[in-house]
Amino acid sequence: MQPLRIALAQIAPRLGLLDENLASHHALIAQARSGGAGLVVFPELGLTGYLLQDLAAEVAMRLDDPRLVELAAATAGDGPEAVSAIVSFVEESADHRLFIAVALLEDGRVRHVQRKLFLPTYGLFDERRFFAAGDLLRATPSRLGVGVGLSVCEDFWHLGVPQLLALDGAQLLVNVSSSPGRDLAALNEVGLGTATSWRTLLRTYAQLTTSFVVFVNRVGVDESISFWGGSEVIGPSGEAVFSAPLYDEGLYFADVDLGDVRRERIALPLLRDERLELAVRELGRIVSERAGQADDSTAEPGSPPGLDVAPR
Amino acid sequence: MSAIGGRRSAPTGGGLFDLPPELAIDTDVARRVIVEFIRGQLRQAGFERAVVGLSGGIDSALVAYLVAEAIGPERLLCVMLPYRTSALSSRTDAETVVERLGCTGELIEISSMVDAYFGRADSGLVGAVGPDGLGASALRRGNAMARIRMTVLYDRSVTWGGLVIGTSNKTESLIGYTTIFGDAASALNPIGDLYKSQVRQVAAAVGVPDAIIRKAPSADLWPGQTDEAEAGFSYPELDRLLFWLVDRRRSPEELEAKGFAPDRIKWTLKAVAGSEFKRQVAPIAKLGPRTAGLDYLYPRRRPGSART
Repeated sequence: MQPLRIALAQIAPRLGLLDENLASHHALIAQARSGGAGLVVFPELGLTGYLLQDLAAEVAMRLDDPRLVELAAATAGDGPEAVSAIVSFVEESADHRLFIAVALLEDGRVRHVQRKLFLPTYGLFDERRFFAAGDLLRATPSRLGVGVGLSVCEDFWHLGVPQLLALDGAQLLVNVSSSPGRDLAALNEVGLGTATSWRTLLRTYAQLTTSFVVFVNRVGVDESISFWGGSEVIGPSGEAVFSAPLYDEGLYFADVDLGDVRRERIALPLLRDERLELAVRELGRIVSERAGQADDSTAEPGSPPGLDVAPR
Repeated sequence: MSAIGGRRSAPTGGGLFDLPPELAIDTDVARRVIVEFIRGQLRQAGFERAVVGLSGGIDSALVAYLVAEAIGPERLLCVMLPYRTSALSSRTDAETVVERLGCTGELIEISSMVDAYFGRADSGLVGAVGPDGLGASALRRGNAMARIRMTVLYDRSVTWGGLVIGTSNKTESLIGYTTIFGDAASALNPIGDLYKSQVRQVAAAVGVPDAIIRKAPSADLWPGQTDEAEAGFSYPELDRLLFWLVDRRRSPEELEAKGFAPDRIKWTLKAVAGSEFKRQVAPIAKLGPRTAGLDYLYPRRRPGSART
């Protein structure tokens, strides 16, 4: 048995009010600890609110910001007093780029930072206008005894992200989100198209990576947008261990046995059988073809380099 | 909220109204989102109370029910704003809503304000606009009534200490069947993304009286007027057309292939394009380095914006 109690902080951050949100994070970390949790996960931009627009620069923190250092210090403790926290905020780099970041805080310090890789800028989203995209994807070791892979919302709409994190050593995949609920319909599983899509993705990723998937989505309202919550923990066999209600704010606890990862991976050795060299080779070919440096095997005959249609 | 979740069969209008299947929504989720939206918007703005103009129709009745659910009826002021030619049934239906909800209701006749502007032919009164006003078209008179109602609601917003809640639905907004700075004006709109058929569905779910759900929608500008007679087709049909055009991004050719009549498609496309200006804020001529709405972009309810 490798028991872990995970606390899901399905909260409604106050838009642009960093100090208020910091205070609520401190309180919830304390509450998670006293509830026996070894890990507490907060949603995307839980420290700032989501729809920031030009406020992004005003609430940004460098990684050495005293407020972040102080929040990290709150995770320190001996034995069962120790807790890991996954928090999200606007990170300002030394060269003044703004990132949507998620950080693993444990043992009183910032253990790992993952910058959001995919910034949706379509439909109701406008993230690329205000933020820079991260360039690095890494799993991180953790005091929890398993590798942890962090990602932010849209990152999980790209197949490569959960796969790369699992191959890099993560056994616990964490996605923090500010997912706007939309596409209300009568016949979806839970009455909301967004929720149905996410629930499918989470189960599929957990099964295909034979990992735990922890999804924490915020609730509350920023301007026109309502966030739907529905945070979940999915086991490595793809079955839900815990599903928080839609729209209800709360700190929810879920108990897992991290030993399930080993059992699932022995029984279903999908990761063992991955063909990384095949993927690298084929991806390399596709990149070359798109760049016009190699013949495109699927382009129309006579297409110029880098184009897949032959002009008439 | 245990009602959310669990697969259910497609809802119908239950004989009360015609609900096209593709427009059916989960009313528990809709109700939850809208109620939280109202609470969140008011909180961010620093208000605890709200003002709704009640016409006696389904849109404003539904909004009143949802606001009462969100903040409690004691914080809701419903204002009834009839003109002397308004149907008596509109007023009694509005009074039923006030009574059922237990909110504060207020009757403010707008006849004297409208007549003071246009004049009144039957009593020889010439209005502020001069003799020309006596022959003002139904369009001019209707727009003026809508804007006078808006003026009253925003004035009562100050005395009641509450935000004005909008009551325009998605159908009328998309075809431009609204008066800009009149009924289209509000501090927030909880039902602006619901088609008329969906308004009916949610109204039935929250308990709006059947008589209000059942009656023909009308701007009530003259006796016997109905929206559907003016547009020339029914709300379920118009809602379906708009849904496939807007939400499902179908081209006019694809709409025709789905069975919509070419003249209806043409009428709708023109109505939607022609009313685009009503759905957007007025453009500002770009001159300086930072311009509101273009490159000065803040949340409407940003830190420090709350009234208190």
